[in-house]
Amino acid sequence: MSAATGASAAGRLVTLGHLELPEYPVDAAWAPDGRSLVVGLADGCVTLVQLPPLTSPQVLPPAQALQASQVLRAHSQSVLAVAWQKAGRLWASSGQDGRVLLWDARVQQPQVVHEERQWSERLAFAERGSGLAVATGRTLRVFDEAGTLRYQHAGSAGAISALAWHPRAAELASAGNGGVLLHRIDLKRSTGGPEAAAPPARLLPLRAVCVCIAFHPEGRLLAAGLQEGSVQLWNLATGSDSRLDGFGARVLATEWSATGRYLAGAAGSELALWDFSGRTGGHAGPAALRLPAHSERITALGFRPGGNWFASAGVDRRLLWWRAGAGDAPQDAHLLADECSLLRFSRDGALLAVGDASGGLSIFECRP
Amino acid sequence: MIKRIPVTVLTGFLGAGKTTLVNRILGEQHGRRIAVIENEFGEVGVDQALVIGAEEEIFETSNGCLCCTVRGDLIRILAQLRKRRERFDAVLIETTGLADPGPVAQTFFVEEELREHYALDAIVTLVDALHLPQQLGHVPVVLEQIAFADVILLNKIDLVSSAIAARLTQQLHAINGTARIVPTEAAQLPLEQVLDLGAFDLERALARDSAFLEPPRPFEWAGIYRLGSAPALLRIGDDDGHGHHDHDHHDQDHHDHDQAAHHEQAQGEGMPLAQVDVVLLPLPAAADVATPEAQGATLEALLERAAAVFDSDALNVDGEAPLQPQRRLRLPAARSRRLPLALAPGLWALFCEHAPAEFGLSLPGAELLYQRSFGSHHHDLAIGSIGLTESRPLDAQRVNDWLSKLLQSRGQDILRMKGVLQFKAEPRRYVFHGVHMTFDGRLERAWPEASARVSRLVFIGRNLDRSELERGLAGCIA
Repeated sequence: MSAATGASAAGRLVTLGHLELPEYPVDAAWAPDGRSLVVGLADGCVTLVQLPPLTSPQVLPPAQALQASQVLRAHSQSVLAVAWQKAGRLWASSGQDGRVLLWDARVQQPQVVHEERQWSERLAFAERGSGLAVATGRTLRVFDEAGTLRYQHAGSAGAISALAWHPRAAELASAGNGGVLLHRIDLKRSTGGPEAAAPPARLLPLRAVCVCIAFHPEGRLLAAGLQEGSVQLWNLATGSDSRLDGFGARVLATEWSATGRYLAGAAGSELALWDFSGRTGGHAGPAALRLPAHSERITALGFRPGGNWFASAGVDRRLLWWRAGAGDAPQDAHLLADECSLLRFSRDGALLAVGDASGGLSIFECRP
Repeated sequence: MIKRIPVTVLTGFLGAGKTTLVNRILGEQHGRRIAVIENEFGEVGVDQALVIGAEEEIFETSNGCLCCTVRGDLIRILAQLRKRRERFDAVLIETTGLADPGPVAQTFFVEEELREHYALDAIVTLVDALHLPQQLGHVPVVLEQIAFADVILLNKIDLVSSAIAARLTQQLHAINGTARIVPTEAAQLPLEQVLDLGAFDLERALARDSAFLEPPRPFEWAGIYRLGSAPALLRIGDDDGHGHHDHDHHDQDHHDHDQAAHHEQAQGEGMPLAQVDVVLLPLPAAADVATPEAQGATLEALLERAAAVFDSDALNVDGEAPLQPQRRLRLPAARSRRLPLALAPGLWALFCEHAPAEFGLSLPGAELLYQRSFGSHHHDLAIGSIGLTESRPLDAQRVNDWLSKLLQSRGQDILRMKGVLQFKAEPRRYVFHGVHMTFDGRLERAWPEASARVSRLVFIGRNLDRSELERGLAGCIA
């Protein structure tokens, strides 16, 4: 679909390379250097992809066939999640075999930090520091760099469906049925055990199921996508909340732009954008701008770090590249081989990895 | 289109035998890949199949109806499972013994992602034959589990007498007219009777038993007998002192002596009937009984007459006087009896208030040519089934309006609903099924040219009003 060349590449997603994986890519995480990533597959393997050096951004490289630099037999059953430290060489994986593994990029042998028959469905490394948060059913655990359990909270009302670290504070949000719990995490604290003397988690109660959560880049707001098709917004300083209604299906993703001005949400085939630059619109929040571009269920949504550009993709195989505030038409579009399974921006926002259900993994250069 | 993975929901009250069944399924060399989602881990090996632990997480959906609940854990787990290229042949979801299977079923109606990849195949409910009589009256969730079922495994059948088993079967049918009832010992049965049944297809259910679609009759069973020249006799129970006789009218020499032990147990539970009403009607001399079809038609022609006789005052049979035809006879059924019949040789129809197995009825020396069961008429249970038929074409919009209004007002009480509908000017069949207020319907294959086009609907629920439903359906005729 896209035919970006030379100078016209502004506002485009430019295909850098493509890799055919042997299995469904479930999740992916970029290394902090933005030039390598780990991709967790449905056969339990994790593929390490190392990208060749980029040429000057002014010259478009030809799309190339990428190769997996390493295939790690990580789990005996499908991978559920992968995550990489924001800065550092540690990354983690969890699988349907019930294991959570902590990997050092220099060592091939992982450390098993947790194992039980219930799945650990969510992993998240802290924005600052090195804590690895693991959600297993109703239990939240945080491990330090050495793989030692440092925090445990088993009191969630329902299974934890989403995790998010506060961007500026040592605080971790876990969400599920009944609202969001905010946990104070202090890995330096030396205590008798992970549950001993931990400060009580703060509950943001809600008679609904939170499916996904996202902190505002400044950390003052928290957005949660709900099962019932709306987005809940909390002002963490004042405790006030508002509800952005209007989706007809479970909200799959909520994402803030790096500037904090825009919030995007996806539910079913609906995509909506809220502009928080002016008045917040009171309890009902600002009015949503509808982006009617997908014909089938959206499966992935993400804002590019550093700016107001974002990407969406879904079962309709369309990968769309949007500029928030530039109307309701996408700036660029690509057709994937199959429904989108994942969409991950590198930390510097230069590259975008997109996986599809047939095992394809494409790397795009993001040209705002 | 990708074949959707069939999902079986296994439900049953505590102690009914769910874990035994799951272990057996996993232990059997059937060559199928089955993912099992359990709320509590049983003694199963992970190597045999993927066994996933789930904490049942039930929440309400957004439509404001309290009865519309879904399982959040299933949404997440099944979404993850479908990513594996090495596909499963089937998924088995075991529910806790204390839960009704409504939220599990509704999850598959409500969640688009699950509907794309999975098809709810059947709700299989295990019931404990030994404890069911007590549970039916005192444990509401057992009634609901039965009402939701597509297949009911009447487990531990070896622990009760055949008379009790027959009575339980009738009661299960009264609660849920569409479910297939399979008696089992220690949950032993071919896997094909549990997995990949397509049991939500009403026509498949009706092919097994459509009796409950008919208006209620005062009798549950009828048979055509050929009487010879020897003096005829009607036997109740077993005059050998062996308790209730197995339901075997063809081979009177074959006695099931295993029933002896069960008889005392049955007496102890107070289950046997104290009395039972029957009617004997002569068949016309020219009655055609050459084929099963002809026998069925012959019996059909007598149904109204039999119902009319059942409407008359009952004649208590007590003593040695021969039983009279064309009367409503009230027979003592509490103990074994041999009652003489004053009947001429030839063809006779016998109509019984309860199934013969329930009171050990037999006609020694007479040949049973044909038999048929009718919808049960137990009125002592809070949950029941109502079936409706309509041969005139329906108006799609009116049906939609009617069902929408009905589910809005009675959604909490209507546990299950299934139907095959004939719409005006539409060559295809409209097939639907629902759980509480959630509903899934679509146009399917065309009506067969040769067959009669008849709309059929079944409602299973609490305190259902047949006349209300009949009026509603009548209002939908195009």
